[in-house]
Amino acid sequence: MIESPSALPNPNFAVQKRRLRFLGLTIDDTIRAFFGGNAFVAVVVLALITFFLFREGIGFFVQNRFNVELYRQAGLEYVDHIRRQADDHAALSRYLSDLRLRQFSILTEREKRSLADTNTALAPFDTFAEQFSASADPLRALLSDLTEQATALKTKFVVTEDRKEERRQLLAVGKLAEAAAVEIVAVDFARELQPLIAMLPTYQTANRDFARTLAELIERPPALVQVELASRLATFQRFTRDYVAGFPAIERAMAAWDYRQPVPVWHALTSFIFGRQWLTASFWQDWYGILPLLVGSLLVSLVALFLAVPLAVGAAIYVNQIASLREQRFIKPCIEFISAFPSVVLGFFGIAVLGQALRTLSQQSWLAWLPGFPFSERLNILTAGSLLALIAVPTIFTLAEDALNNVPRAFKEASFALGASRLQTVLKIIVPASLSGIISAVLLGLGRVIGETMVVLLCAGNRIAIPDFTQGVAVLVEPVHTMTGIIAQEMGEVVRGSVHYRALFVVGLVLFLLSLAINYVAQGIVRRYRISIG
Amino acid sequence: MTTRPPSAFARSSALSANSPASRLSPAVTPEVLVAIDHVDFFYGATQALNDICLQVEAKRVTAFIGPSGCGKSTLLRCLNRMNDLIEGTRLSRGTIKIHGVDIYQRDVDVIELRKRVGMVFQKSNPFPKSIYENITYGLLLHGRHEKKHLDEIVERSLRGAALWDEVKDRLHTSGLGLSGGQQQRLCIARAIAVEPEVILMDEPCSALDPVATAKVEELIQDLRSRYTIIIVTHNMQQAARCSDRTAFFYLGKLVEYADTRDIFTNPTNPQTEAYVSGRFG
Repeated sequence: MIESPSALPNPNFAVQKRRLRFLGLTIDDTIRAFFGGNAFVAVVVLALITFFLFREGIGFFVQNRFNVELYRQAGLEYVDHIRRQADDHAALSRYLSDLRLRQFSILTEREKRSLADTNTALAPFDTFAEQFSASADPLRALLSDLTEQATALKTKFVVTEDRKEERRQLLAVGKLAEAAAVEIVAVDFARELQPLIAMLPTYQTANRDFARTLAELIERPPALVQVELASRLATFQRFTRDYVAGFPAIERAMAAWDYRQPVPVWHALTSFIFGRQWLTASFWQDWYGILPLLVGSLLVSLVALFLAVPLAVGAAIYVNQIASLREQRFIKPCIEFISAFPSVVLGFFGIAVLGQALRTLSQQSWLAWLPGFPFSERLNILTAGSLLALIAVPTIFTLAEDALNNVPRAFKEASFALGASRLQTVLKIIVPASLSGIISAVLLGLGRVIGETMVVLLCAGNRIAIPDFTQGVAVLVEPVHTMTGIIAQEMGEVVRGSVHYRALFVVGLVLFLLSLAINYVAQGIVRRYRISIG
Repeated sequence: MTTRPPSAFARSSALSANSPASRLSPAVTPEVLVAIDHVDFFYGATQALNDICLQVEAKRVTAFIGPSGCGKSTLLRCLNRMNDLIEGTRLSRGTIKIHGVDIYQRDVDVIELRKRVGMVFQKSNPFPKSIYENITYGLLLHGRHEKKHLDEIVERSLRGAALWDEVKDRLHTSGLGLSGGQQQRLCIARAIAVEPEVILMDEPCSALDPVATAKVEELIQDLRSRYTIIIVTHNMQQAARCSDRTAFFYLGKLVEYADTRDIFTNPTNPQTEAYVSGRFG
C-alpha cells in the first residue's frame, strides 16, 4: 500500500513570512501612502485654487451688470452725453493752447522778441482763445447741475440698498423689532428722473446758442503771427465744424434715452473684456475694463521677449555648440545666477538706475532719430520690458540649451563628415532639429514674464490707460499698468465682496487662463518634438 | 565625374602630378592612396594609437579589425579629421598623407578634406529631414543649387546605394521613417552624393539585422569599383567576405596588415591567428 502524499505544508519550504505592521499597514504600504498623499495634496490644492478663483470671480459679472444698470437708471448715462460734449470742447481748447505755445516759442526763440512784445503780438489770439473757451460756459453750468442731480439719485439708491442689506442682516440674527425700524424708501426712478429729463428743452436752447457762437467764432479766426501755422488753424476750424455738426446726434440720443431700457446680460461681460477704462473709486461711475491692463501686460511682455529671445537663444547656441568647456563652465552659472536676484531688487534697480539711464540716453541728441526719443517718463514700457527680459533670459537660456543638447550628437557628426562648417551645421541641422524645443522655451519664458509682478509694479509707470498706438513704435516709451500690477496694488485696499474686489479676481482669472494656455501650447510643442526626434 | 585636381583640399597643391594618371589607368600595381606613417595619437594623456604605419590602396576595400578599444575607429576618424571635434585630442607624431598631401598640415581646409573623404557611421544617422533633403544637404553646402542637377544626383546616389526602388515614391517623406537598414543605406547614399574618393565606414552593420547586413555588404561590393573603402568591423566574417586587405589592431598597435585571404588562412603573427580563430577578443 502506497501512502498518499501529505496535504500538510512542508515546514522546510518556508516562503511565508509575518511582516511587521503599523496600524495594519506594512512599511511598503506606508511609504506608498506617504507619496500618494503628497501627490493628492498637490491635486487638491490646485483644485481649491481654481475653484476659489472662479467662485470669487463669477460674482463679478452679476455685480457689474447691476453697476451698469444703475448707471442707466440713475441717469448717469444721460448726463454723460453732455459730459462727452464738454470734454470734446476742452480738447479743442487744448489744441488752441498748443497752437499758442508754438507761436510763442517761434516768436521768442527764432525772432528773439521780448516777453512783453510777444504777449502783445499774441493778444488777438488770446482773446479768441478765451472767447472759444467761454462759449461752453452755459453748457458746463448745465452739466454741473445735472451731475449733481444724477449723483444724488444714485446716492439715494445706494443708501436704500444699504438699508435693505441692514434689515436682512438684522432679520438673520432674529432682531425683528430693529429690522422693522429700518426705514426703507423705494426709489421711484421715473419720478426722480423727471427734473433731469425736463432739462432737455433748456439744453437744446443752450446748445443752439453754443453752436451759433462757435460757428461765428470760427468764421473770424485771429490773424496768426506766422504763416506756417496756418494749416494747423485750418485743422482746428475743420475739427470745430465737425464738432458742431455732431450736436444734433447728441440731442437725438438724449431725446431717445429711456432709463427703462434693459441692460443685456452679456453687457456685464463685454464691458469687462472690451472696456477701455479701468476707473475705480470715482465720484461719478466706476468702470472695470480689462483692455488697458491687458494691453499693458502684453506690450511689456513683448518688449521683454523681443530683447530676451535673441540674447538667450544666441547664448544657448554659443554655449552648447561653440564654446570651449572652460567657457561653458563660466557662462552657464553666470546666466543662471541672474535668476537669483529677487525681482523686487531688480525693480528697485530699474527705478534707481535703469530708468534714469534710459531717459538720459534718450535725451542724447545723436539718438534723437530713434522713435519715441527723447522721452520724459522715467518709468515706462521700455524700462519694465528691459528688466523683464533679464528675468526671462535664464528661463529661455536653460530650456533652449536643453533642447539643443537633446539633438543627437550623430546629426552633428554626420553634418561635419559631409563637409559642413560649424556655422552651417548649427544653422541647418542643430537649430532646425531643436526648433520646437526652442519655441517652447520662448513660450515658457513668456509665461514667466507675463506673471511677473514686482518689476512691472515698480517700473511700468502705472498709468491706467491704453497707450497711444498712433505714435507707432514710440508707444513703447509710454507708461502703462499691468494685470499683475493692478492686483498687487489694489487688492490691499478694496472692500471684501465689493464689485471692485471681484473685478480684481476676474483679472487674476484672466491671467491664470492666459498662463495655462501658454503652458499648454508649450507642452504640446515639446511632446511633438520628442516624437519627431525618435 | 568632375575633373578637379585630387589635392584640391590642400591650398598648396604639391605632389599632385602623379595621381590623375594612375586613377585613370587600370592599376596593375595598386596605387597607394592613403599613406599613414608612424602615427601616434592621444586622447588627453591616453595614447590611443602607437606608431601606426599603413598604406591603403586605391579602389580596394580595406578592413580594420581588432578587439574593442584597439584604436581601429580612432585611426579611421583620423583620416577625415573627425577627431578634431573632440577636445583634447592630438596627433603627436607622424603623418597621414592622401594623394601625397599631409592632411594634418596647417593649410589644409578640413571642409574640403571631408568632402573628399566621406564617412558612414556605426549608428545610422539620417537628418530629421526628408530623404531628398538628406541627399542634397551636402550638395547645397557646397553651393550646388540647380533643381534639375540635384534631382539627377539624388537618383544616381540612391541607385548607387541600392535604395532607389524602395524609396522613389516617397522621396519627400522623413528619412527617419525608413527601417534601420534603409536608413544606413540612405547614409551611404548621402555620403556618395558629394562624390568622395574615400568612404570611411565605422562598423556600418553593427546595428543591423542579417538581411540588412547582407544588403549593405552587397552594396560595398558594388561601390569598390569606384571608391576606396575603409571599413571598421567587429564581424570577422564580414571582413573576410568584403575586403581585399585586412589590418589587425591590438592595444593601439598595428599587429598585422596583409591580403585578407592571408590574414584569415595564413596569419604570420600568433596574436592575429588567435583573434581570427576566435580564441580571444
